[in-house]
Amino acid sequence: MAYYIDLAFNGLVFGCMYALMAVGLTLVYGLLRILHIAHAAVYAFGAYITVIVANATGSIAIGILAAIAACTLLGMAIYRLLYEPLLDYPPYVAMIASIGLLVVMEDGFRIAFGEQGLTFARNPYPTQLHDIAGLTVNTVQIAIIALSTICLVLLALFTTRTRIGIGWRATVSDPRIATSFGVDAIKVRYLNFAIGSALAALGGALIALLNNFVEPTMGFVVSYKALAIIVLGGLGSLQGTLIASLALGLTESYGTIFVGRFLDRDAIAFLFLIAVLLIRPQGLAGARTA
Amino acid sequence: MSAYAYSVLAITGINVMLAVSLNMITGFCGQFSLGHAAFYGAGAYAAAFFAAAGSSVPVSLLAGVMVAGALGVIVGFASLRLRHDFLAVTTIGISFLFVGFVRKQPWLGAEMGISRIPSSGLGTQGNALLILACALATIAFSIYVNRSWMGFGFRAVGDDEDTARSIGISVSNYKLVAFTLGTAIAGLAGGLYAYFTQFIVPDSFGFLVSVMLMAMVVIGGTGSTLGVVAAAIILTLLPEIFRFINEYRLLIFGGLLILVMRFAPEGLAGLGRVAVGRAWTR
Amino acid sequence: MDAVNWALEVEAAAIRFGGVQALAGVSFLIAPCEMAGLIGPNGAGKTTLLRIIAGVLSPDSGRVVLSGIDVTRWPTARRVRHGLALTHQIVRPFRSMTVLENVTLAAGHRLTANPFAALTRIARAAQEARAREILAKVGLAGEDSKPVTALPLGHLKRLELARALAVDPSLILLDEPLAGLNHNEAAKLVDLIAGINAGGITTILVEHNLAQVMRVCRRLLVLDQGRIIADAAPHEVMANPAVREAYLGPGREHAAA
Repeated sequence: MAYYIDLAFNGLVFGCMYALMAVGLTLVYGLLRILHIAHAAVYAFGAYITVIVANATGSIAIGILAAIAACTLLGMAIYRLLYEPLLDYPPYVAMIASIGLLVVMEDGFRIAFGEQGLTFARNPYPTQLHDIAGLTVNTVQIAIIALSTICLVLLALFTTRTRIGIGWRATVSDPRIATSFGVDAIKVRYLNFAIGSALAALGGALIALLNNFVEPTMGFVVSYKALAIIVLGGLGSLQGTLIASLALGLTESYGTIFVGRFLDRDAIAFLFLIAVLLIRPQGLAGARTA
Repeated sequence: MSAYAYSVLAITGINVMLAVSLNMITGFCGQFSLGHAAFYGAGAYAAAFFAAAGSSVPVSLLAGVMVAGALGVIVGFASLRLRHDFLAVTTIGISFLFVGFVRKQPWLGAEMGISRIPSSGLGTQGNALLILACALATIAFSIYVNRSWMGFGFRAVGDDEDTARSIGISVSNYKLVAFTLGTAIAGLAGGLYAYFTQFIVPDSFGFLVSVMLMAMVVIGGTGSTLGVVAAAIILTLLPEIFRFINEYRLLIFGGLLILVMRFAPEGLAGLGRVAVGRAWTR
Repeated sequence: MDAVNWALEVEAAAIRFGGVQALAGVSFLIAPCEMAGLIGPNGAGKTTLLRIIAGVLSPDSGRVVLSGIDVTRWPTARRVRHGLALTHQIVRPFRSMTVLENVTLAAGHRLTANPFAALTRIARAAQEARAREILAKVGLAGEDSKPVTALPLGHLKRLELARALAVDPSLILLDEPLAGLNHNEAAKLVDLIAGINAGGITTILVEHNLAQVMRVCRRLLVLDQGRIIADAAPHEVMANPAVREAYLGPGREHAAA
């Protein structure tokens, strides 16, 4: 029994991680109809910056803040330099360019920082164990759940209680009504990328802390899972994405029991996706198109 | 010619087959498939399996074709129900599922792959020439399809499915045919590859390979057979000719994708074609 | 009633969308060579009805019968191969093709019925000739090699019509063909449509432009809130108080222009 609760907890931790990643992806899709595959590179960049700055300054907290700042800028730059010029073309053009960017950045990490990756000089957190209700968990896992919950709650409040937030959320659901909310459509786009990238940075920082290392291909693994999540959640739907993130985290955790013999843990994400799409081609929370 | 030269010829021929067959699905018919490597892999593994079991070359190759084609039909059915972006993501999933599955099957060699695949009896030169012949046949077939009424139908499906239906084209049937033909050819390429190298591993058929193939199609210009062939040849030969490129291979490759999409989204074919007011609209 | 072969029979078609009964049991019969107009206020269900006849939507209940064959469960492409043609309100030409290619492809509808059979055929001369004939008929002669992106709206509408004609239909459904056209263009297009109808093709026209519709249709069906509230000759229909009420709201007495 404890084993299953353990799995549930594990699934929850990963679900929160995926949510931090996937939110940015679904925000971009909802607004621009682009599959921002390079988002994974932003995430990896966040992870790398965390390690590098933390090692340079001796403070992990500074590392995390630096990562968030850097990724926010990176995300907005990606929009301005890569996507904005391509908005008049069919969406696949931006998607392919995005894949190109992901590949370039991941290889860039390899060339700049080495194939083996980097580790923290001093990271006590993954080994700090706590006993909570019979479960053994480490500080980072608690941080993941806590921070992601806080962030997502803040995001929810922002999009439902502030004028900018409401306008932004409405624009993400229907880009054409931005102006009627008195919101500058261009600013909304930058806000979109900024928030999504900041969350991804946090996700990257946390996974770096959890695993205690970062390596060049870390983005690939997460990118396709995030894609599966946003498709499952109904592209553009924040709620759907959150549900799908948690669902995936849990499915992977429990899934390894049943299909671990046939399938890589990472491939479970797609098995789940395909199974769901077979039954509901519009995803878990998506609207049926006429 | 040295063994190395034959090997380059062989890989080029295989990439041409893969890119041209992907072009039939994506370029002609507008179905975005980022999982083409999985069908390539399915063909390779099927052929290797049959060859190791003692089958003759034609039978093994046929097995490769059929297995890949069957998988293609299944994915084709999925494409009927899914929107374009969902389909793109699902095909990415096919790529990962294939590798993730094969890696865990002891009877397929798991992580180590299948080695010591029986020789085809043709020798290195013979194999390379066989591949070359198949590549040329694939090109010819692709050009033929494009000229035929089936290709005409594909273009309609790629342009606007609902309108295609309103002139009597069964969009579903055409999509299924596109997938079946494209993936069957990929399966053949896989079988040929297995015989040429006599050793296959799961990672040769992963997502990055699918991306590379898609890059060949978009850089060549979706829909243009010759453009895609040119792109396939260039992208295969460049790392070989400029050895130092190998170290920065992915960087250059990704960079190329970005540059082409940013400045010439219609690819080589678009650059070469005298564009007569062919403007993209969303 | 079996002695007459109706071009189109719609029997008790009903469909519900997310809580709204878009069509609440619509029935009517269209005889061959008729020119019928389908009118009604916004939201009446005209487009929905057209989509059900075209096969884009499946009704929750009811039947659609084309020339005696029950096509209710048939997909659009199959109905097109059995004599139906349709044009769209928002014109949708094939963007990667020229004007001639758009119509040629439609003219080759028998060849494209089966993809594998289509694979064995390359020659297009016959279809191109037919396409040119049709393009001339709709007044687009000489535009053959233009990419469709270069055409103005009026011409695009004619292209839609040409493509519909190319499938050799016995029944054409036209969804607001005059939308977006100025008075002259609209009048000319309507005359063209009337000419096509005179040539023996049953025509059903969904339109808001009442002036033009009254000119050429010999029969009007009025749809309001998912039901047919009138089905008669134009002047009778326009004099019907229920129709005026539907368009103008209750209590107002003013003839629509």
